[in-house]
Amino acid sequence: MDLTWDIDREGDASLVRCRVRNDDAVPRRVRIESRLDAPVLPPRRGGLPESGWDEAGVTLRLDPGERRALGFAACAPPTDPPVELAEVEAVDTAAESAADRPIAGVEGAGSATATALRRLGDHRPPRAATAGGGNELSGASTAGREGGSDLTGANPTRSAHPDGDGNGDAFDAGERDANSDDSASSSAGATEWFEAVEARLDAVETRIDRAERLTDADLATATEAVAEADGVEGFAGLDERVAADAKRLHELSERASALASRAEATDAPVEALERLA
Amino acid sequence: MILAVAGGKGGVGKTTLAYNVAAALDAVVVDADLGMADLPGGRGPDLHDVLAGEADPIEALRAGPVDIVPCGRTLAGARAADLRRLESAMAAIERERGTVVLDCPAGRRADAGVPLAVADACLLVVSPRAFALADAIRTRALARELDAGLVGCAVNRVTEEPPTDAIADALGAPASVVPADPRVGRSVAEERPVVDAASDSAAAEAVRELARRVPR
Repeated sequence: MDLTWDIDREGDASLVRCRVRNDDAVPRRVRIESRLDAPVLPPRRGGLPESGWDEAGVTLRLDPGERRALGFAACAPPTDPPVELAEVEAVDTAAESAADRPIAGVEGAGSATATALRRLGDHRPPRAATAGGGNELSGASTAGREGGSDLTGANPTRSAHPDGDGNGDAFDAGERDANSDDSASSSAGATEWFEAVEARLDAVETRIDRAERLTDADLATATEAVAEADGVEGFAGLDERVAADAKRLHELSERASALASRAEATDAPVEALERLA
Repeated sequence: MILAVAGGKGGVGKTTLAYNVAAALDAVVVDADLGMADLPGGRGPDLHDVLAGEADPIEALRAGPVDIVPCGRTLAGARAADLRRLESAMAAIERERGTVVLDCPAGRRADAGVPLAVADACLLVVSPRAFALADAIRTRALARELDAGLVGCAVNRVTEEPPTDAIADALGAPASVVPADPRVGRSVAEERPVVDAASDSAAAEAVRELARRVPR
């Protein structure tokens, strides 16, 4: 059994990378344990550790000649060596026909739900979809930007404004908030909102930069650009996306200038209202 | 008994059949489409709240002609939903009410896979078009990997005689034909299951036939 490693320090955490190779002629089950002074933070998908991992290390089954690369983090200072081979045993091939099922069973994480979560793509809508969903515009960002608190933030709104079909969706709720909210909490929300727009525009700009480099490019420049993008596949659909960008940017600029002139034209007598209240 | 109604493709009538089969089975129907809920909603806690750990599964039950566990309509709720809680939540409802029918979302992401993993059996819905069948075959493969035995498939909204035998062969399960009937289409929104509203119709008989295939 051949084990090599290296270790990086990132803030308070140590990041350990190892390679393990079974140089025997028979399959082996190998246990690799961390010697760092903190629980192992294993690779995860959908919040579940990959199969074979636990707090102290990982158990793997390696076929003859098979190599495996693995890595983990731990919130502890580096040690040398960071990992050790705790156990190597021969695998009873007769007892296990299905390749890695027994390992999943050993770890007690082999339930069908865990399998589905590990194997399939994440179902959750991207954070950007919820962050842009009206909450920040309404200045309700104090309700928190993470999913959990967004949910609790949305529920009271739904019960406060019951609507007939029960379709109280976050965006509508946010819009209603925006209408009824005063401007006190909106300045922080507004900056965040502009930052988000800036970030989107930066992404579009990167795309346009790439398209510009390819426009009327000589062979050398084009080759260089293709190399940077890891092959021609990197440009798949670039022309269509840039065309779509152009259309959206025009729409955006028209709407933005219209909104800006409307915003300048308003004169809400807030102070007078406050005096009256 | 937990039955998943799946199909891979969207718009083939999974929700409608889940609702009507649940009526025939006298079961609870759970809207497991976390991102695009279809069954009627309600005021109380919903499946998003249950999966976020903020409500008891039994609290989310909403009484009606068919009892429903509705699903929330917010993206934030879909983000906060932790699918690891689905199994115990469905087990709790099964203990209380006997049979649970899970209306699965389209696609092959975790939100479509986990209900299949949680279910004891599944029912596939296909439309009589070839492209819908391709998605159903992929979902069938997923169900097999996740140990949800296929009890049957429903060829939904049929107007002309479909190639039922070919579909049954492709999916490896008996295929039942559910004829196109506007009363089936309206049944969910009006909460009038076709087995009650039009119990003599061919569609109601097809729904009962599907329900009979489900082991109790």
